[in-house]
Amino acid sequence: MSIFCLGLNHKSAPVEIRERFVIPEKKLSAALQEVRALPGVHEAVILSTCNRMEIYAVTENRKDGVRLLRDYLQSHFQLSSRERELFYLHEELEVARHLFRVASGLDSMVLGETEVFGQVKKAYHAAHSERTTARNLNKLFQWSFRVGKTVRSGTHITKGSTSVGSVAVDLAEKIFGDLRHCQVMIIGAGEMSRRTAKSLLSRGASSIFVSNRSHDRAVELAREMDGVAIRFDDWVQAIPEVDIMITSTAAPHTFIHVDKIEEAMRLRRGRPLFVIDIAVPRDVDPDINDIDSVYLYDIDALETIAAEGRRKREKQIHLCEGLIEEQLEDWDFAAGTGTGDSQKDDPGEEEKDLRDLSPAHD
Amino acid sequence: MDRTLLFLSTLCFFGGFCYAVYALGAKRHRSSWVNLAVMGVGFVLQSVFLYHLGQFRGRCPITDVVDIFIFLSWSMMLLYFLLGPPFRVSLLGMFTAPLVFVFQSVALLLPIEGGGATGPIDPWLEMHASVSLVAYGAFALAFVAGVMYLVQDRQLKKHHLKTLFYNLPPINLLGKSIFRLLAIGFLLLSAGIASAFAMKESPSAGHLVMTLAVWAIYGLIVLFQVWRGLGSRRMAVNAIWAFFLPLVTLWVLSRH
Repeated sequence: MSIFCLGLNHKSAPVEIRERFVIPEKKLSAALQEVRALPGVHEAVILSTCNRMEIYAVTENRKDGVRLLRDYLQSHFQLSSRERELFYLHEELEVARHLFRVASGLDSMVLGETEVFGQVKKAYHAAHSERTTARNLNKLFQWSFRVGKTVRSGTHITKGSTSVGSVAVDLAEKIFGDLRHCQVMIIGAGEMSRRTAKSLLSRGASSIFVSNRSHDRAVELAREMDGVAIRFDDWVQAIPEVDIMITSTAAPHTFIHVDKIEEAMRLRRGRPLFVIDIAVPRDVDPDINDIDSVYLYDIDALETIAAEGRRKREKQIHLCEGLIEEQLEDWDFAAGTGTGDSQKDDPGEEEKDLRDLSPAHD
Repeated sequence: MDRTLLFLSTLCFFGGFCYAVYALGAKRHRSSWVNLAVMGVGFVLQSVFLYHLGQFRGRCPITDVVDIFIFLSWSMMLLYFLLGPPFRVSLLGMFTAPLVFVFQSVALLLPIEGGGATGPIDPWLEMHASVSLVAYGAFALAFVAGVMYLVQDRQLKKHHLKTLFYNLPPINLLGKSIFRLLAIGFLLLSAGIASAFAMKESPSAGHLVMTLAVWAIYGLIVLFQVWRGLGSRRMAVNAIWAFFLPLVTLWVLSRH
């Protein structure tokens, strides 16, 4: 019996290649059965996310198994012979090391992200439901869940914000606590402000105002986010009601000045105002940061914090790798002697965790 | 009088403080429940000691400076446990425990003077003293919350977010907590002063002036906040400097 993993990810293939290999959820069962039906294939799990497509398989003979799977992929996805070589291959212990790194978020585009853990679980459960797993892959995947949990709880690999958007949302939560009573205003309908506002809404922000020089665009964006469009001349009147203001207009100079904000703050009775200026050149006069209870963050300030978050996560890598190596030794021993406590085929205890995980992307 | 319980409770507060410092240094963000448990034990020991002190005095134990420091520490802990949701309690060790530790250490170093009550007890005097001290406890917590607010405000303004920042409660909630504590303290102090007018023996002019000064200062802070809606930062600064007045008052009163 031989175990291996054939796959591609964001490191080995560009998005225009990866997007061709995404296997939608509704087609996953059929794909699993097709792989399982290949001669000599005893077990199979397919992990398909927007950043990776990997097939974990247990076959009678490794060389034949790999060749058969490559042939299957070539015919299924109409690959050229050059594209056929884009797939990486991990074998035996390297399969476990790779899967443990994937489940821990070490192989992700955003280092330490947790969504991939849920995606690995979903992939395994799908395969288990289709009865394409047995003793070897059951043991391997269940062990990987343990490793993922150990790495997340034993290190700071998931701590801190690593993107401008997540820094903005985390700061909003640090300023206001519960965002359910927070109102958001977007000035300028840029893509980045739209995404940040959407993140705030997903974390519970109650309502959104959209103001743009082109009122039609504001109406369109407000409709998309279930918000209210306000005319560009009227945004100042909305400030007393708003807690988080995101600006990203193409204005050539600042147009949000101290006097306007000071006047609005008198009506806010001490409630903080979080201003996120994503525009370049900036929309907001930096001096408003000196006003009591006003917190201004421009794109550089947000990026600096995000970079710090990424740097802190990178410093955790060696710690994570150490934990993975320890687990790998245990797994190797258990797999070799058959004494691992993950021999059970029933993944029932993992189902509770699975329900708690969001189906977001790797 | 045996002060073992007071010593053990002080040790708990010191332990909680040390643990919080260690947890922050080691960047262990999940230390709150251990910290809370240590503080809880400290509070129970403190309460039992205060009960024995009350038995010893034969009245509310606020007769000298030692009593006042212990009672003030106890009222701070009581208010914090009553008012603080769990996330705020997690910072108990970091910000409140040092103050309580200092107060109780002073109480441990000083001798307990006098004995039990000799004459008849005036219930209005007991009420005046105890309610006023709980009010001072609220002002002390407003001071602590004010420090937390300014630390966070500075980091947010400067964009330098250190480990401590991520352990602090949301600044908006801190602002609200400061106002709530100042308002509670002001109302309790008002009740304490009102009960003083029903006392059999009138307080000395000096005592009255000092207490009314504290009442007026905190009254103005609360009134301005309600009336003008001053920024939370200004309120935090006011909560910090104003707390020195009750401290001076307590020190002066304890010497007479």
